[in-house]
Amino acid sequence: MIKYIISITLLILAACMLQQFLPSIGGLHGARVLILPLVFLCAAVSVNFASMLMLAFICGFLWDAQNALGPSGGDIEIYTSPVENLRFGYSIILYAMMGLLMQGIQPLFKRGKWHISSLLAGIAIFFYLFAEFLLINLVRGDFVFPRAAFYRIYLTSALTMLFSPFIFWLIFQLASACHHTIRYTGLKKEHRYID
Amino acid sequence: MKPLNLITLLLFIAGAAWALTRSEGTVRSIQNSYYAVISPFLKGGSSIEKKASAFIDEVEHSKAWETKYNLAKEELDEKRVEVAHLRKLELEIAQLRQALKFQQLTPFKVLATKIIRRQPSTWWHTVTIDRGEQQGIGVQLPVLSPEGLVGKVDAPSANTSTVILLTDESCQVSAKVDGTPEVGILSGQRGLTGDNPSLKLRFLSKDATIEPGMLVFTTGRGGLFPPDILLGEIKSFEPGPLHGEALVKPAVDFATLHTVFVKIPDSPESQASKANP
Repeated sequence: MIKYIISITLLILAACMLQQFLPSIGGLHGARVLILPLVFLCAAVSVNFASMLMLAFICGFLWDAQNALGPSGGDIEIYTSPVENLRFGYSIILYAMMGLLMQGIQPLFKRGKWHISSLLAGIAIFFYLFAEFLLINLVRGDFVFPRAAFYRIYLTSALTMLFSPFIFWLIFQLASACHHTIRYTGLKKEHRYID
Repeated sequence: MKPLNLITLLLFIAGAAWALTRSEGTVRSIQNSYYAVISPFLKGGSSIEKKASAFIDEVEHSKAWETKYNLAKEELDEKRVEVAHLRKLELEIAQLRQALKFQQLTPFKVLATKIIRRQPSTWWHTVTIDRGEQQGIGVQLPVLSPEGLVGKVDAPSANTSTVILLTDESCQVSAKVDGTPEVGILSGQRGLTGDNPSLKLRFLSKDATIEPGMLVFTTGRGGLFPPDILLGEIKSFEPGPLHGEALVKPAVDFATLHTVFVKIPDSPESQASKANP
């Protein structure tokens, strides 16, 4: 199990590096393949709850270290309504929520129905981006949801979902190399019997 | 819930709370460390990308030459290809000359940098340039091109920096409409896509006489950008109940931007000599 978790963590770090070189596609409303969230989602369904939370923390931390913007700056007498940015660390919570969603279908995944997990990975990314855009609206005020933003969310999640079978294949290879069996050990209620 | 899960959940909540309550300085140092680790990969990746693109170009040229060779080496076609190639070189020389001329003619002290990565995040309009703190780049410094204002430095690390583009909502610029007394705040629009989305100029007078085609420049107020840098031209104007708003077409073509110039702050000596000539 530990060997598998370490190899998944290394895979996440590799995905983080690869993410740097995946450009947005101008013709598809700036959609892109989100390889780091995808690797996290595919890994989240194959590990236990505790490991999923640890991976969510690592991924969210790396994501925010890469993307967090600083304050607007400038003279507040001129820039009277500075634009607020999302706080460093918000992605950790969003990743954990996506991870919980994936853990919910772990029993199906264990039965070999990985294609449902694959579909759910796309849905989870859709909700992740949607939640991120809602958070931006919340901190900046003036609720706007242009059609272009919807297309970007939709196309990004669809594009990313297409790569999920490959990531699942990679995870299965890692699991077999580490002699790890994917079991359902999620948040199930333990029954205690008194003799 | 299992005890291990409960402990991990509590540790996770503590970790998330720790991350969410970091000060701006701590976040900057985390980002600095992160970019210090990945900047060799970024620069390496950028050079590989260039080599790959050059290789593809060469292959394409070779194929073209082979086809022409097979088609009886028609001299006219050869000349045409040569001329096309020369035109491309001529264009490159013109671009380089323009960049050099800009660097020589600009009244500011600027540092030429190359864009090595475009828009790495989903919602922010940013690029990464190949110069950082070691070359004198600091936070909030204006980034220019011969066409006009590009944006400002958001997060400099040792050898690379993130530049927030003018098309981003959080890059606000104090702007004036040329030929009118109108001043306002120019910024990008949330959620818009495309290489050159329109900018929004807010807080104008509701009865301003603004016509499409009028030029928009920086005012120099606010302590971020120098005055009289071209920002774009007015596309349309809409008077509102309190303020008027205008849509502005950016002067810079962000899709074809390769070399940008960071305005380096003057040394205290040169500032003193400017003040007392």
